[in-house]
Amino acid sequence: MSAFKERKGLIIFGAILIVVLIAALAAYQITGSIGIEDRYNTAVGLPVSPEEGGGTFLGFSVEGNHVLYLIVLGVLVIGCFAAYRYFRI
Amino acid sequence: MAHIHLEDGSFTLFWVLVWWIISLCLIGIALFLLRSKYKPDPKKITIAAFVTAAAFAIFQIQVPIAGGVHMNLTPLIGILTGPVIGTLIVFIVNIFSAAIGHGGWGLVGANVLVNFSEVLVAWLAFKGMKKITTDLFSQAGVATFAGLFAGNLVMIAVILASGIQGVHQTTAQILAGLSLLAAINMGVAIVEAFLTGFIVAYIGKIRPDILEGDRK
Repeated sequence: MSAFKERKGLIIFGAILIVVLIAALAAYQITGSIGIEDRYNTAVGLPVSPEEGGGTFLGFSVEGNHVLYLIVLGVLVIGCFAAYRYFRI
Repeated sequence: MAHIHLEDGSFTLFWVLVWWIISLCLIGIALFLLRSKYKPDPKKITIAAFVTAAAFAIFQIQVPIAGGVHMNLTPLIGILTGPVIGTLIVFIVNIFSAAIGHGGWGLVGANVLVNFSEVLVAWLAFKGMKKITTDLFSQAGVATFAGLFAGNLVMIAVILASGIQGVHQTTAQILAGLSLLAAINMGVAIVEAFLTGFIVAYIGKIRPDILEGDRK
């Protein structure tokens, strides 16, 4: 019974995954490979502006100002450290 | 994930204010509940800090799938912290995102609502899945799909209600365009579902008490 209950979750997960995958692939066939800003602009009918060329690493890139990203992330990491010291987990 | 990725000026000032006021009301309710009814367990504050940092870090990264997409870990926020603390976390992440130039300030209110719906539905689905299965991976995975699907619906509803300044498309055309976008977003949800599923299953293995707090 327990093994079935465990498998039932995976069956539901797998079924959702298949439906989502088919829908996403169909949508991708229609829209093609475009950046996130362009995809939004196209969806609502705004003019598509040329993407800003930023530094990428293996295709991954950081949105917004990179220096500010590192500063904010640093502040959040310090916050995590402080919270861990005071409250633990 | 569903984040309204439009520039400032896409919505009229009226709708910018409407979404900001509604999201500020949600923040107010969350703060009120935290001060009165749901005093958080101290360890939950540390978890909230960690998921805030992780969500901010991952949210700014454009992943090279289908031309460029984002993940935002909102379902994980919902599962680990619940909707009350989760509301504050998505507000902080959206504020910091706008501060570094990712997304417009005028859209923060609308995006908080979208992300709040993801947090809330993922939390509810995670609780609901417990009755169906004992497998933590699939509980979290299904909760992630449910949360992100809800986020996409709210994203579409917010854009359709607000309208876009300067475009001449009909509502049906915008709905069709946004439906395609939502389907692509759900494709990314597959990656996020696996990620969230593995993280939650791992936490359940080494520290099950962290997951039990909200599930009694």
